[in-house]
Amino acid sequence: MHTLIRRSRAPLALTAAAVALMSCKGDSITDPAGEAEVISRVTLTLTPPSGAAVSAYIDDPDGNGPTAPSAQVGTLSLPAGTTFTGAVRFENRTVTPVENITDEVKTEANDHRVFYTVSGTGVTVTTTDLDGSGRPLGVTFTAGAATGTAAGARTIRVLLCHYDGGVAKTAAATSCTAETDIDVTFTAAVP
Amino acid sequence: MVTTSVATPLTVVAQTATDVTLPAVLRTMRGELRDSSSGAALRGAEVSVTGVMTRRIRTDAAGHFAFSQLPARTVRLRVRLIGFTPLERDIDLGPGNVSLSLRLGASTITLDSVTVVTDARADPLSGVAATSTIDAAELSATRGQTLGETIKFLPGVSVIQFGPSIAKPVIRGLNSQRVLVMNAGLRQEDQQWGTEHAPNIDSFDADRVTVVRGAATVLYGPDAIGGVVRVEHAPVPVAGARTGDLSINGFSNSRQGALSVRAQGPGVRLPGIGVIGYRVRLTSRVAGNGGAPDYSLSNTGFRELNGSATIGIHRGWGNADVMLSHFGTELGVLRQAHAGNFDDLQRAMTTEPRDSAFTYTIGSPNQRVEHTTARVRATFTLPNDGALEVTYGSQANHRREFDNHGPLRFRDIAAFNLKLFTNSIDVRWKHGLQRGFLGTIGSSAMIQGNQTRGKAFLIPGFDLSQAAVFAQEEYAIGRVTLSAGARGDVFSQTTIPYSDAGIRSAAGTTRWTGFSGSFGSDVHLTSSWSASARIARAWRPPTVNERYAQGVHHGTAQYELGRANLTPERSSGIEGTLRYAAAGGSMEVAAYDNRINGFIFLQPGAPVLTLRGAFPGYNYNQTNARLRGVELSGMITPRAWLHLTGTANAVRGTDRVNGGPLYDMPADRATVQARVVGFRPRLGNWYMGVGAVLVRKQDNVPTGTVYALPTQGYVLASADLGSAQLSLAGRRIDLSLSATNVLNARYRDYLSRYRLFVNDAGRDLIVRLRVPF
Repeated sequence: MHTLIRRSRAPLALTAAAVALMSCKGDSITDPAGEAEVISRVTLTLTPPSGAAVSAYIDDPDGNGPTAPSAQVGTLSLPAGTTFTGAVRFENRTVTPVENITDEVKTEANDHRVFYTVSGTGVTVTTTDLDGSGRPLGVTFTAGAATGTAAGARTIRVLLCHYDGGVAKTAAATSCTAETDIDVTFTAAVP
Repeated sequence: MVTTSVATPLTVVAQTATDVTLPAVLRTMRGELRDSSSGAALRGAEVSVTGVMTRRIRTDAAGHFAFSQLPARTVRLRVRLIGFTPLERDIDLGPGNVSLSLRLGASTITLDSVTVVTDARADPLSGVAATSTIDAAELSATRGQTLGETIKFLPGVSVIQFGPSIAKPVIRGLNSQRVLVMNAGLRQEDQQWGTEHAPNIDSFDADRVTVVRGAATVLYGPDAIGGVVRVEHAPVPVAGARTGDLSINGFSNSRQGALSVRAQGPGVRLPGIGVIGYRVRLTSRVAGNGGAPDYSLSNTGFRELNGSATIGIHRGWGNADVMLSHFGTELGVLRQAHAGNFDDLQRAMTTEPRDSAFTYTIGSPNQRVEHTTARVRATFTLPNDGALEVTYGSQANHRREFDNHGPLRFRDIAAFNLKLFTNSIDVRWKHGLQRGFLGTIGSSAMIQGNQTRGKAFLIPGFDLSQAAVFAQEEYAIGRVTLSAGARGDVFSQTTIPYSDAGIRSAAGTTRWTGFSGSFGSDVHLTSSWSASARIARAWRPPTVNERYAQGVHHGTAQYELGRANLTPERSSGIEGTLRYAAAGGSMEVAAYDNRINGFIFLQPGAPVLTLRGAFPGYNYNQTNARLRGVELSGMITPRAWLHLTGTANAVRGTDRVNGGPLYDMPADRATVQARVVGFRPRLGNWYMGVGAVLVRKQDNVPTGTVYALPTQGYVLASADLGSAQLSLAGRRIDLSLSATNVLNARYRDYLSRYRLFVNDAGRDLIVRLRVPF
């Protein structure tokens, strides 16, 4: 046993050196930049041929977090026989100043498209802008209920589609076949 | 006439003799074992020879043993008997049959500096736990592939696979934080909790891979609750000539090329230190998109560049070495598997995969990982065949995952950016026979820090410290060897808070202490049969990701949410193994029943709604689980030139709370292989064989989630042809050609994480060449 103890000095020294080294560990932090890809508010704005524009938005203050988005704030009304010009706005409001993601979408118009799907009959939404290659983009649109449309609630689903990774963007597409960046549904009423 | 001298380091040696002068196809090795001091014949010693497969027999009453039908090349002989110094030697059977006279003893003759000694007790569990080892010769058959691919045909082992580039070992149905990977004596700390985080190890560095099935927490710590994959590097040569080799592999499927060059030798003289041995290695692997039978797997290429350098000294007091290694990889993640939300995922699942063109280019999503390791190890020789081993390791792991979301200007910023720093020190005292006991007593300490950066949150930063003491001892009574071990661990986990809307701030320190224990016995029934049984209790504290994960998982659109108040898992298992080994064949059957209380798993919950759409929500939860299974492996040699081998595995995981199956259990599987072997002077040790992997459908799956959908059974055929020590241009080279999935079968394995979207890889033709210099 004495031999063991005597021989153990070298490892003890090594142990001490190692412990000294161990104290220089990395500074642990939690610091995700977080904001870069968040869209926390989607706003629809409808402008009638004459009169003031109305808008409504849906918020998701935690961005991609687990808390569900808020209820729609503001009401959208589409009286029969009137055609509105519309615009969608994507924003990241979790940062200051607020980031306008719509500008990003316009910059990368060739890779994006906004699809609008309306429930019920009589209401149509038609996109009016094009990307650099002449395909629909959908940041602006016209919306309206045909004359004689029955009154009632409708929903307008706004889907921001992101083309990447091999799925080609085609002018004829009627739904998103690539990646979904935004998928949110507004309610609108035909009075 | 061939004469081989077997100098065992700690014994008085050996005469030898032998018979054959003509080259024979196969060799015989006979031997006689005696006590070095009394000269008495030693009965019941375990003698194993590892050539193609490991074969084990026991010496008879006269101390005799014999192996026939061994390959005509260098094999590794191990002799082990309780109460005596284990012996391990490489014996070259190339020149002819060998007969050995061996003496075992406990004497303390100084180590011959020429000899490289490997301690047979590196594996104290091999007697009672189910273990399997792949040695260098067998590893050469899978060179160029990932570690997971290398071990996936061992009994009880399967892999979770993300295409050709990521393969994660699964042992008896458990994986990730429940399976410890040891690389060169260090616990591999590389964010191993993620199923898509493959072990960051250069598979060319592996000289031997040992898999311990079942809880091995006493020796290895809580994350060995499911088993251990131990990757060992060859010792640094301290004598002999400078040698080296060049390995080149080509794979047709992904047009992968792999190249590894190694140089080693003794003879570098440093002032003040004397002569040191060294080894350096450089490895590169480059692959493009893998291919299923009908289409390419988009964005599944990878690029890997690794290097390592080791120096070692061997002196009267023992030996020491220093190793530095760096592993770097960049690998693509299947594009179809990258979904914006749940609707996208369902569309990707129901749409025929797009036929992407072959390319070596890696787009997004992808992973870039760097792993740097420094290790200092010293082994001090102690009297009475003891040794004190001190290992210090420092590891830095930098993992970045790039996604395909958001504006282009942010694409070059990693979505997940994690840096993990680990420092560890392990001290093991392996004592020689003392009052009938032989064993290891040790302590282990580790400190870890994690930094979380990147665009998105997945896990918080954390500090972890861990300390443990343990002892594993064995005691022989006649034909029975008893083995017992105990370990105590203390863990402290501190998570670093981060406040942002929606991201749960994980703050505070949690401590856990736990105890592991095992008891087993190994009985030599006859010279050919032995049986062992073992009970083990183990525990594992929850990891940071299980407590605080929050975010969408790449490739599955799964929204994972941790649970901060998880309690440790506690397992108690029983297992039994029956082994047979004789000249004409060998067989092993193992069965186990393991109960894990507080088993942590991802449970499908309410969908998570965001402006992006809905994501299937998954919450970490706990249940009581039971895992049972059977493993069978065997080899017979009906003719000297014919080797037939087979394995079979089945595992059943049950959630004891609801009676249903567990998630991610491997499908039942069997492998068979027939191989014809021979020897010709110019051709060397040649072989050719055919084999098949038969996998049953996996329908024993949880319901209520698409991620657990059943898969069909499949059969894959393989063939190989090659030779070790083939004469070519004046050199002895190793050359082999092999083909996997020969019939180009369309299949989806249950543990393939891309199975929801695409078929697994089709036919692959592989060329492997190794040229020594």
